Amino acid sequence: MGERTEQVITLSLPSSMQHIDLLKVIVTEIVKETKLPEDIQEQINLAVIEAGTKSTQHSNKEEPEKQWTFQLILTENTLTIVPDDEGEEFAREETEQVITLSLPSSMQHVYLLDVVVTEILKEIDFTEDIQEQINLAVIEAGTNAIKHGNKENPVKKATIQFTLSEDRLVTIIKDEGDGFARQEVADPLDPENLLKSSGRGLFLMEACMDSVTYEDNGTIIKMVKYTRTPEL
Amino acid sequence: MQVNLRHKGSITILDIDGNVIGPDALALKNIIDQQIQVTHNEGEPGGKLNLILNLERVQMMDSSGLGVLVAAHTTIRRNEGSIVLLNLGGNIRSLIVMAKLMTIFNCYDSEAEAIAGIIRS
Repeated sequence: MGERTEQVITLSLPSSMQHIDLLKVIVTEIVKETKLPEDIQEQINLAVIEAGTKSTQHSNKEEPEKQWTFQLILTENTLTIVPDDEGEEFAREETEQVITLSLPSSMQHVYLLDVVVTEILKEIDFTEDIQEQINLAVIEAGTNAIKHGNKENPVKKATIQFTLSEDRLVTIIKDEGDGFARQEVADPLDPENLLKSSGRGLFLMEACMDSVTYEDNGTIIKMVKYTRTPEL
Repeated sequence: MQVNLRHKGSITILDIDGNVIGPDALALKNIIDQQIQVTHNEGEPGGKLNLILNLERVQMMDSSGLGVLVAAHTTIRRNEGSIVLLNLGGNIRSLIVMAKLMTIFNCYDSEAEAIAGIIRS
């Protein structure tokens, strides 16, 4: 049973001072899920920020472009944070920032997605309305991956990768499920579906983002939002 | 998400505070279902729920939250009760418009109007 309640969240983000805030909101949100007393939660938050600041200053000196990857291992009453050298290697453009989050498939983590997106969006020039749209689309895609893709099996991971550049945010959501065919999902705006209590997730994602594409049988969803409407 | 329950005469008012996303949708569904149940048990046969959902403090709602509103509408109307929405913020209004549900829900900008709306229906 002990292992079953252990949840591992992997986070990878650029090692720069501006991302300490992101780390802070993530840890605060995760620590909330433990049953630790509030003052202990506060101590953990402080320790993480301290460690993050030190590590960031160090890596900035050594390798400014380095990604900072670690695992947050959560049980009912402990939080362990370990550097993760197994992190995936990927190529990125110099002007891009890539933030990756890998979550066990529990619906509880939808809240974590919400705070992460809100924090990331502070770094890119979107209007408030657009920020809300992106937030909703990411929550829908995360819910889709966790609930419908991975069937809330905590062993399966939902991976969310945000790539920020000057003019756009690209979000890629990956699940470990069997996939689905987009064209077989009913149109929620069809009069006969209007009063159904589910089936609006994909529609809302597509309505909120500039482009949504489904790859690998729908187990990978790529969503793009531009800071300005693209001229087609 | 926090939900405060109030009554005005035969009308039940739920003041919802916070985002209705992920597991909150299920929590909200349980609260509404419980109210439907209570009305049934307490009232004469055919007891009906008259419900106002005050969404003034809801900044964001996802498709599961929207699904809860639609399901509540279906059940309550089937029992000849009524459900109206109060104080929709811009985001929630656009969500409901996007999903083409504006004709399904009666929406009001003041509690007095919402109560009058329920009494009229």
